[in-house]
Parts: sequence; structure tokens; C-alpha cells
Amino acid sequence: MTDTVQAGRRKFFDLARPSRQHLLGYILIAPAVLMVAAIIVWPLILAIDLSFQQVKIPRLGGASRPFSLSNYVWLFSSQEFWLACWVTVKLVVVVTAGSVAVGLSTALLVNNRFEGRTVARLGMALPWAVPEIIAVVIFAWMFDTSFGLFGWLAIKLGSTDQMIPWVSSSTAAFWAVAITMVWKGFPFVSIMCLAGLQSIPSDYYAAAKVDGANTFQRFRWITMPLLMPVLGVTLVLTLLWVFRDFSIIKVLTGGGPLRSTQTLSIMTYDQAFQYHNFGRAAAVGVLTLVICIIASVLMLGRRSKSIY
Amino acid sequence: MNKRVKRLALGAATAALMTMGGFTPAMADTVLKFISWQTDDAGTGDWWHSAIAEFEKQHPGVKIEFTKAERSSYADTMTTLFAANQPPQIVHLASFEFQMFADSGWLEPLDPWLKKDGIDMTGWAGQKTCEWNGETVCIMTNYFGFVMAYNKKILDEAGIAVPKTYDEFLAAAKATTKDLNGDGIIDQFGTGHETKGGPGQYLTEMLNYIIDAGAYWTDKEGNITIDTPEMVEGLTRWKTVMKSGISPVDMSASDVRKLFADGKMAMRLDGPWLYGTTEKGSAKSDIVYVAPPLTPPLGGSSNVLAMPSDIPDDQKQLVWDFIKLTMTPEFQRSYGTMGGNTPPSPKADVSGVEKTIPHFPVLLATMKAASEKGIDRVPIGLELYYNEFSKMIMEESQRMIIQDLDPAEVAKTMQAKAESIKG
Repeated sequence: MTDTVQAGRRKFFDLARPSRQHLLGYILIAPAVLMVAAIIVWPLILAIDLSFQQVKIPRLGGASRPFSLSNYVWLFSSQEFWLACWVTVKLVVVVTAGSVAVGLSTALLVNNRFEGRTVARLGMALPWAVPEIIAVVIFAWMFDTSFGLFGWLAIKLGSTDQMIPWVSSSTAAFWAVAITMVWKGFPFVSIMCLAGLQSIPSDYYAAAKVDGANTFQRFRWITMPLLMPVLGVTLVLTLLWVFRDFSIIKVLTGGGPLRSTQTLSIMTYDQAFQYHNFGRAAAVGVLTLVICIIASVLMLGRRSKSIY
Repeated sequence: MNKRVKRLALGAATAALMTMGGFTPAMADTVLKFISWQTDDAGTGDWWHSAIAEFEKQHPGVKIEFTKAERSSYADTMTTLFAANQPPQIVHLASFEFQMFADSGWLEPLDPWLKKDGIDMTGWAGQKTCEWNGETVCIMTNYFGFVMAYNKKILDEAGIAVPKTYDEFLAAAKATTKDLNGDGIIDQFGTGHETKGGPGQYLTEMLNYIIDAGAYWTDKEGNITIDTPEMVEGLTRWKTVMKSGISPVDMSASDVRKLFADGKMAMRLDGPWLYGTTEKGSAKSDIVYVAPPLTPPLGGSSNVLAMPSDIPDDQKQLVWDFIKLTMTPEFQRSYGTMGGNTPPSPKADVSGVEKTIPHFPVLLATMKAASEKGIDRVPIGLELYYNEFSKMIMEESQRMIIQDLDPAEVAKTMQAKAESIKG
């Protein structure tokens, strides 16, 4: 009798049996799922819960406040929120377009055979390897209003007769942030595009040349269509990076002057740690997440069909 | 048999571990966590270390874990620690950021502790700031007065006397702002203000001119008093200084101080902490400290010591012992001799400090002058909203400078927005 029961247990836990193989799969992914749940899902649930409470500084394990929509009501009626949305959209468009333009151009360049191509490829990827915070500090020095390199260059080139107030002019500050982000972001686009370019068979180009297609035509009718799947994914990833990036803006301008570089990420931080309005900060964070999900679904939805 | 031996071994190991675990708390030191941004500050950091050493000597078996958190992210760190129910036992905060913690009920009222030890806080500079909802929730560690440091060589070369009024200060600053090598870039500034260190610092910098013009953000009852002719004059002065190019812009405090310490700036209005930087600068021998030309001098509470309300009673006693130690006349004196700071205690004997810090009498005089006039950087009635208020003031001031707005209009806007923040 005992042997029968033990045999039954052995059969149930025999993960090699075809009917039990799905169990093995669940067991193997369980640690990863639990970890993701602990570090992403649980804080996300906390943030959503917090966004529906009128709370200044929350305390872990403390009593919850009553359910309230006041954070969202404040958010949608706040000029600051809409300004942050507008700045985020502007930055996403400018930086994504800039990164793709520079990244694709450099990828096309280093995809050709020429002497020193390895060094050029290394140089292209270098900004990606530099830690973000170090890159921003270096750029902050270069954009320094009193002694910065860019201001000095502008004077030497005769485009201005005085230093440019990069961080105390709304327009200049926006472009200072955008330039730094493009510098930091274009290598990712380059690397992805280079990988995409190298997967295009050279026969296509040879055939097009035989047919008399010029460089632009080859680019327009062969390179671009075949690169689009890679470029689509890269575009979404770059867009999401710009959307949620915090450190570049925080170090360079802190969101100023006059909130001209205050994105939704900076607004979330300010509400939480500057004004101690964690409920409002959570509401901004939740809305940012919703916007990111919608943007990703819209952009990847169609593109993914062409990939797979 | 084999199984029995294994079980026995396992049981013995478990028992041994549990026994050791039982002994562990008794054997281990009691550790008090103390987080500060001043751990390695020249002078002040040494003073903290000396107080910790003395405390540990007086309390065998008790250790203070002194850890640094950067000032720029200090409030974030403390907020996170309190929110996570993990506050340090010894709470060190800036005088403009403790209010939020006190308002949440997270700081222990210290009146019973003061009463128990019969400590009289009369005359303790800036201590009133530590009262929250009628209770003392902290001890003022530092109350300071601004001084003016100037580069004698630069002023002498320009043939300018040390300024005694705002107009003289402005004229001197204009005369000493120069492009020395003719490349179109200013190499030597008349003065310097930090405008990149965040709203609180921005407010402090502009407050020099506002107080000299006879204005302030609120009155003693906490009413907003921005829309006044005096404030319009103060804002006009700030606009003039920032637009005339006599100060570098978008610089952090450390960069501005370094520029001054290296002889690239003629005058600097600053607190006692400037001395640490000028002592290391290449223009050290040319720098002289005097009372500022803007009066009364800007001053105020700087940082406070407190304890969390929800730590065990035995730890509270230890924390109070540490706070009490820093308040003794001996340590108040060494706050001046070692740290170069002005001790808030009226009982501190600071005689002879000028032998090591020649300008110490100036620091004391400006601290007393500021204290007597009740000057502080944190406006009464806006303590809880200081960050929001200071950001609003900074933004409106920036708008005034960037868009060349009339200070009278700006004062009106600030008044309305401040009233809205206060609610």
C-alpha cells in the first residue's frame, strides 16, 4: 500500500514525463517571476495605491488614507502638468529624430569599407560606453555660461560676442539638454542600424547597380525597407529612453529655467522629494506609465507584424 | 544508526547556532546610526568626529556609525529613510527641512529631556526655529551671520576702498569685473552668486540684497509681505547685480567659492564655511574678512540635531546623551576652535579663537547682529512650504531677469503666488 502511494507521488513529480513538462517550465521561471513581481509589480501596485491617497510623505506599513481622486483632479487642472507634457513631447520628438538621424548616418558610414573603420566603429560606440552621469557632468562643463567650451567656440567663430547663457535661457537650456541626449543616445541607434545593415544581402545592391540604380535609389528602395523592422524597434526603445530619462536633465538644468526642461520624470521627482507630495508624484508616475504603454503599443503594434 | 547520527549532529548544530544567537545581542555593541553631510568637512567634520570619540569613551559598548550622505541628495535620503521606517537614531537635518518630519510626528519632543536635565536654552542662538507646534523638536547646532570676504590685491589694483554700502559694493564690483586677456570672456568677477544650487540656495543669495533694502518675505505673524516698496527695491538690486555681468551665472556654490579662493573674484558674501575654501585657495594671502556692506547681515539657522520619536527608550537616552554632549560649553568652544563656526550657546567661551581664525570676531559680530534682528532664511509661516515657496521665488526672479520684467509687477505676482502656496 505504502509502495503504491510512493510510486504515485513519484509519478506526479516525474518532471520528465511529457504531461508534466509544463510544470518544469513553471518551476524554472518561478524565481524570475517572483523577482520581477517583487521589484516591479509590487512597487507599481504601491504607486497606484498611493496615487489615490492624499498623502504627503508615506510610511511603509503605515495606515492607508481614504480613497481620493484629488491627485488626479489636481494633475489635470494643473498648468505645470500640461507644460511638463509639452516639454516631454518636444524633447522626445527632437531627441529621437536627432538620434536616429545621427545614428543612421554613422551606421551607414561605418558600414562601408575604409581604412580605420574599426577605430571609427569604436569611436561611434564610445558615448554609449561612457556612464550617463559622467557624460552629463562633462557636458555641464562644456555648456558652462562663464567658462564653457561651447560659449568660447561661439565667440571664436564670431557667431556671438558674448558667452551664451546655456542654463539661464529657456531656449538655450532646452537645446543644451537635447544635444546632450542626442550625443548619449545616437550610438545605440548606430549599433542597431549597423547590425540591420549587415544583415542585408549584398546581392541586392549588386543587382540594383546592374539595373542602374544610383546611391540614393539603392538607399531608398533597398536599405530603408529592409532596415525598417530594426529601425522601428530602435525608435520605440529610444523614445521610451527619452521619455523616462531623469539624470541628464536633473544634472544639467534641474528642469529649469522657468520649467523649460521640466519633463514628467523631473516633475515626479520634484513632487515627491522637493514638495513632499508623494500622492501627487505617484499620480504623475502612473500617468507617465500609461502614456508609455500607449505609445509602445501604437508604435510596436504595426511594426511587430513586419518583423515576425 | 547512520540516520540517528545525522539527526543528532543536525540537532546539535541547530542548538549551537541558537545558543550563539542568544548570546549575540549581549556581546555586540549598541550601534547608533548618524548620517550627516558634514562628515569630511574641514573643521566641522573633525568636530563631529571628536564629539563621537568622546561619547564612545563615555559609553563603553556603544558605537556611533557616522555615515556621509551628499548635501545635494540629503533631504531625499532622509525622506526615504523615514518613509521606510529606518531613520538614523541621531537625526541631523538642515534647519529648513526638519519641519516636514516634525509635522509628521516623527521627531521626539525634547522639552521633557531638557527639563529633566535642567538645561536652560535662554540665549541659544536660533533655538526658536526648533519649536514646532509649541514643542521643542530639535537643538540648533549652528546659527551664523554672513560676512564679506574680499581680495585686497584686486581692490588695491583697482584703487577702490572696501565698500560699506550697497551702492559702493555695486560700484566696486563693476570696477573689478574684467576681461583680462581681451578674448571676450570675463576672467575676473566683481562678486559671485550661486544660482545653480537649487531654490533654497538661490533664495539665500538674493536675500542679502532684499534684507539690506529693508524687505522680507513675511512678518513676525507669518503674513506675506512681498508686495512692498522695500521688496521692489530689493528685487531691483538683485536684477541689477545679475544682469550687469558682475557675477558669473549658473554656477554651483563650490565653484563660486573656488573662483574667489583662487583670486578670480573681488568680493564674496558668504557664511563662515567660506574660510575652509579660501584657506586652500591660491589667493589665500590676499583674502580679508570684514562685516558685509549689506545690513543687517544675512544670517540664520543652519542645521539641527534631533531624534526620531519611535526608537526604543534606551536608544533615546543614548541619543540625548550625545546631543547633550555637543551642547556642553567645552564642545561649544571647540565648535569655534576646530570648526571655525560660531557656537549658538551663550555660555561658550570663545576667547582666543581669533589666534587660529583671525576673523572670528567678525563672524561672532555678524552672528549676533543677525540674531538680534531675528534674521533667518526660513520665513515664518512658510516653514512647511519652504521648498515650494523658494522654487516659486526663484522662478519669478529668473523670469524677471530673463524677460526683463518690472520688479514692481514681479513683487505683485510673488505676493499672490505665496499667498496661494500658504493656502
